[in-house]
Amino acid sequence: MSDNWVEVAKTDAIEMEDLIRFDHGDKTFCVYRIEDGYFATDGMCTHEDVHLEDGLVMDDEIECPMHQGIFNIKSGEALSPPACEDLKTYPVKVENDLVYINIS
Amino acid sequence: MSSDKKIFIIGGGQAAIYAASEIRKLDKEASIYILGEENSHPYERPPLSKDFLLNSKQENEFLFFSESFFEEQNINYINEKIEKVNFQNKELVSKNNKYLYDKLLITTGSTNRKLQINEEIDSKVFYLRSLEDAKKIKNEIREIKKIAIIGGGFIGLEIASSLNQQNKSVTLIEISEQLMGRIIPAPIANLVKDEHEKNGNKIYLNCNIKNINKVEDGFEIILDNKEIIHTEMVIAGIGSIPTVDLFNQTNLKIENGILTDEFNQTSIKDVYAAGDVSNFYHPLFKNNLRLEAYQHAQNHGINAGKNIAGFKTSYSSVPWMWSDQFNFNLQLTGLCDQYDEALKRGTSLENGIVYFFIKKNKIIGACGLGLSGKIGRDIRIASKLIEKNTDVDKKILLDENIKLNSLLKK
Repeated sequence: MSDNWVEVAKTDAIEMEDLIRFDHGDKTFCVYRIEDGYFATDGMCTHEDVHLEDGLVMDDEIECPMHQGIFNIKSGEALSPPACEDLKTYPVKVENDLVYINIS
Repeated sequence: MSSDKKIFIIGGGQAAIYAASEIRKLDKEASIYILGEENSHPYERPPLSKDFLLNSKQENEFLFFSESFFEEQNINYINEKIEKVNFQNKELVSKNNKYLYDKLLITTGSTNRKLQINEEIDSKVFYLRSLEDAKKIKNEIREIKKIAIIGGGFIGLEIASSLNQQNKSVTLIEISEQLMGRIIPAPIANLVKDEHEKNGNKIYLNCNIKNINKVEDGFEIILDNKEIIHTEMVIAGIGSIPTVDLFNQTNLKIENGILTDEFNQTSIKDVYAAGDVSNFYHPLFKNNLRLEAYQHAQNHGINAGKNIAGFKTSYSSVPWMWSDQFNFNLQLTGLCDQYDEALKRGTSLENGIVYFFIKKNKIIGACGLGLSGKIGRDIRIASKLIEKNTDVDKKILLDENIKLNSLLKK
């Protein structure tokens, strides 16, 4: 396995239409489980210093709990103000009931 | 859809720019003019009491859209003050110009209430609504230590928080028995007061100001209980009223703002209103509301844009607002008065406390307070439940250990 794939959690550790926070080194991420599969983004909102782990996941969107900025989970695109800077996304794969994130 | 209609917008704030942007999305040909009194493209106001005062954001870092947006979208922003409106002739008159509109949108916003002590004192009091106001405050506080804030609403409290974080000695004076008006539950208002006091701010409740005198090194504020507060600067945040003086001599229907239906339509054909200035009919609550909040200005502006472009769209967004002070976040959604009962979820600021307001077994409002980020999801879910208008499961609302997400799936 390539060195950049890091194990996050068991697949059933994340509920459907939900997310978990994942910290690795000095970085922090959100890992989501939605209808279309598992996805990952940076953990911090691009608008203000808030972690998206407390945000609401609905369909394929994550809403920041502070000011309700909305991002697309799959592409990281900022969809609704005050969010205007896209979220960075990371590749995710599932192998043997484990979720991995590619941090490069 | 396209036309060669001339669309004018009086007022250059958030509702204006979002309406203009929406019109352009739907109509590539219309001429769009925003006539704004401020010498700046529309910008976000929330940073004025926080990031900008704290020097963590500079001017030009909180414009809604980049400068090139206006050219790319062919939206004209003109820094101009309209002095007269003739609805019969569809004419707008400024000092040097006359404009004829096909459709008009009024987004003149609201104006700060002013203290009325005497001419000398009144001219020395600071207020906060615009970028210019914020710059004046920033300039004044450089050499000053003691600041008195009159008014315990969101603006007063946010300024108090920001100035405290700049190591100023802050005293806040509020006329009623709790902070932030009656729509915030008393326990939450008390927690906010505690947090301010823990950080060193002095808060006076139930205090009326008898007089303010200019003294050598600042001011003396005399309260009605005879106590005297010495300060170097006075900032007032005592509410605001809709900006409608331009229309007082016309037959535009005005009552606590410009009356509109759920399609942003005023009492005059081809004239619309949006944002702070509008007293609009809300189809969900079957009542009129006037809201002064960020998300409302944005979405009401967008709704006006759709209707002006010919797409009849009803505005029924559930009201929502926030306030950030120190390291905590307060949020409010729906209506928080005239309820049958209030249910409390959570016990600590660390994890967040939310009150749900129930009427006839449905959630009509919610108010929460917590460390940054902690209550947002539950408030957001409350907004969606208010919209759904379904009967509520009180057990789940009250139990911190059960996620509220399940209520959305019912």
